[in-house]
Amino acid sequence: MPDPVSPASALPMLILRVLQTGGLHGYAIAQRIHLLSSEVLAVEEGLLYPTLQKMLLKGWVEAEWGISETNRRVRFYRMTAKGRQQLKKELHSYDRVSQAIRDVLRTA
Amino acid sequence: MRDLLRKIHYLINRRRLDEELENDMEFHREMSARAGRNNFGNVLRLREQAYEASGWMWLDRLMRDLRYGIRILARAPGFTLVAVLVLAIGIGVNVAAFSLFDMIALKPLPVPQADRIVRLERRSPDNYTSEMAYPSFDFYREHAKTLSATMAVLGVPPMQIDDDLQPTSASFVTPNYFTELGTQAVYGRMLNAANDASPSAPPAVVLSYGLWQRRFGGDPAVVGRVIHLNQKSATVVGITPYEFASLGGQGPDIWMPIAQQPYFIEHSTVLADWNSGSVRMWGKLAPGVSAKAAEEELRSLTNLLRGEHPDAVWKDEFIQVSAGGHLQVITPEMYRVAVMIGVLTLLILIVACANLGGLMLARAVSRQHEMGIRIAIGAGRWRIFRQLCTESLLLGVISSAAGLALACAVMQIVLRKINAPGWLSAVPDWRVVLFTIAMTVVATFCFGLLPALQIARQRQQKTIARQLLVGAQIAASSVLLILAALLVHATHHALYTDPGFGYEQIISIDPQLSHHGYTTTAAETYLDAMQARLRAIPGVSAVSLVQLPPMGHIVSRSETEIRGHKVTAYPNWVAPDFFRTMGIPLRLGRTFYPEEKNAVVVSESFARAQWPGENPLGQMLGDGTTKDTVIGVVGDAHINALSNDDATEQYWAAQKENMPDMVLIARSSGEPGSLVPAVKAMSANLDGSLFPEIRQLKVLYRRDVEQIARVAAIASFVGMVAVSLAAVGIIGLVALIVTQRTKEIAIRMALGAQPGAVLTAVLHQFLWPTLVGLAVGAGFAALGSKFLRVALYGVSNLDPASYTTAIVVLSLIVAASMLVPAARTLRMNLGSILHHD
Repeated sequence: MPDPVSPASALPMLILRVLQTGGLHGYAIAQRIHLLSSEVLAVEEGLLYPTLQKMLLKGWVEAEWGISETNRRVRFYRMTAKGRQQLKKELHSYDRVSQAIRDVLRTA
Repeated sequence: MRDLLRKIHYLINRRRLDEELENDMEFHREMSARAGRNNFGNVLRLREQAYEASGWMWLDRLMRDLRYGIRILARAPGFTLVAVLVLAIGIGVNVAAFSLFDMIALKPLPVPQADRIVRLERRSPDNYTSEMAYPSFDFYREHAKTLSATMAVLGVPPMQIDDDLQPTSASFVTPNYFTELGTQAVYGRMLNAANDASPSAPPAVVLSYGLWQRRFGGDPAVVGRVIHLNQKSATVVGITPYEFASLGGQGPDIWMPIAQQPYFIEHSTVLADWNSGSVRMWGKLAPGVSAKAAEEELRSLTNLLRGEHPDAVWKDEFIQVSAGGHLQVITPEMYRVAVMIGVLTLLILIVACANLGGLMLARAVSRQHEMGIRIAIGAGRWRIFRQLCTESLLLGVISSAAGLALACAVMQIVLRKINAPGWLSAVPDWRVVLFTIAMTVVATFCFGLLPALQIARQRQQKTIARQLLVGAQIAASSVLLILAALLVHATHHALYTDPGFGYEQIISIDPQLSHHGYTTTAAETYLDAMQARLRAIPGVSAVSLVQLPPMGHIVSRSETEIRGHKVTAYPNWVAPDFFRTMGIPLRLGRTFYPEEKNAVVVSESFARAQWPGENPLGQMLGDGTTKDTVIGVVGDAHINALSNDDATEQYWAAQKENMPDMVLIARSSGEPGSLVPAVKAMSANLDGSLFPEIRQLKVLYRRDVEQIARVAAIASFVGMVAVSLAAVGIIGLVALIVTQRTKEIAIRMALGAQPGAVLTAVLHQFLWPTLVGLAVGAGFAALGSKFLRVALYGVSNLDPASYTTAIVVLSLIVAASMLVPAARTLRMNLGSILHHD
């Protein structure tokens, strides 16, 4: 199981989360995460595309062609049912671990 | 599972998916640029990372290694060719041997439920026979519950169709034989229980596809026609298909219902005789019944049978149930031979691998430069090791494919040569393919691993590996060569040694009187009449009788007691003038009086072995109940079996009760073949129901010897292959050493060392491996050759001449293959060598 506190392994979870509302292309995914995190998390391109590739292979997302706002043919990533399950699982374990960390910080 | 499918989908569509990903990234770059950022990394690296996520990296690396390997092999076509050839021979020989074994013992017959067909044979601790009396078969057929069907085959001497000159092979079978084997007739019908179970049914005969083509030109109208077998009329009812698989291997050309045997063989009592082993028995296990369970049931049936017919059952007899749905049932004796052949062929593979290992090591020297560069630019040792293993595997795969093709071609030729049954094919089945793959892995491991390790560790200087290779090669080669020499020597022996009797001018005539129900008196009358008529033929110089004729169908061995210990010898029962007729010289004493009792004549070797330095005449032979006195000693003669190398034969005078089993022999002064028509006419005249088997010893002898000659030819071929493989390998290894030590040699020579001394120093390291290899090889050959004894025709398996020849030849070849590369170095220009670096 990936360590949910490290940003790198949390990336699939974040991607899945932003895809929950609908399909996005790669750049938009990065933008959305950046915005939503109040510009704290900048997704490195070097991590984004290999991660998307892995998620495609695992069947968490699927890709389809669409037209970007700049009128360019580009792939939109969409969450699958399997991805939805995965997200639930990751959120759950993330909650548990962050709760545990908070507990430690509070009582130690 | 879905994951795997997606992965495979990715692998197949890799190019397209890669392009899509690149498109995504390019778009990303564009957008980033608009936003005023430009931190995009190395695109190529990103793509690679994305690819790595797919989990196909290893395949990619393997493909790269393979491509590199192919380039390397293509760049050295000479080496590649030699390596592939060497290994293809090594693997091919093994595959051929295995596929032969597969065909004989593993491949099920193409009949329904072949795995349930079992062969039933009589066994006891002291006795074994593959044939049982028909009444016993009937008894088991009636009572066995574990068998859903039983089939019996009664083999008979070849029968004459109409007035053909060549008799045709024939069998009587139980009427369920074809139905159990699921045989559909090409034309007409097969035998069946409804039509052919009764002795009074109209005589029926089934023809084989081959005979139908040869004799009747493939004419369908032959079905329904009446033909005559040994002058008994019978209707052709059907033709077997070309692919028909007969139980017990190559089948006869005609089949008749067993119930009609007394009609075809007049006066025969075989079907009612409890004491004549005559039918081969097969069964089909009832569904869900194991062979063991069937054996248990048959064991209790045998005990029941003992109660009813004590004479018909041996002490502790049981019926052995073994898988029978194959071309041949492999007896333990045959397994020994199979194991020996397997070991021999493996030895060839070992020689080939040791050899190739040497070649690889030798090549490593020339590739040292390449390896050095690769290591210098950062290739890990593991990476280099993997690359070398890939190369070896590549060589292994190419060679195995070649070896498999070679083996198939050989099998094809063999099958055609031996006129194999139609259902056998040389196309390898899954067992052969699996075996080939296993061989490839083993061989690659053997020849590739050691050199790869050494090269990857950059330590070619280590001599122990090379010494091991040379030792193994020489040991394996010397085993092969010694065995080959033994077989060749045995052939010579058989070809040029007198068998001890005048086979050139003798024919044997076997009227098979006992099969036709002749009593002793009737047999005596018949034989007397026949002898008189034979003597009357001009050109016949002598006529006599013998029970076990020379090169006959039966080889018999028996034990007698001499001075309290058991001695094995080949027994025979003969008429008094047998020795004169056969041209066997009388050395001492006298021959028999007619029907003389308590007297025995022995062969020279027998007398020499039993009573060395004593007078054999008057010695006693036999146990408490029967005692015979030696009355004469005759020359050694391999009457009973040509392969009886000790020629320990014993003869007794034939008694009245032997008469129904006696065979006539006649010596002619001219061409013995010319007697045959006259003998046939006489026999027909004397008793029209008899069709004696007339055989010319000359022909039989030649056929026997040809068989040995063929075995020896194969053996010498194998030996030659081994030796040339060894030579190639040793030349390669020595060339390697010499190249490695060129500079040292040059310096020594420059300092004034004698060429001979330098050579000795260089080659010294091979002395011990060679000697040890030869010794180990000779030891193994001595052990292994015990299995060969039966094929050695009068040559001891420790025959010193064969050992010496093989060892000398091998030593010479080793010496020569060492001197060639060494001498070349010595002739090189010293200056240029020293100048080189």
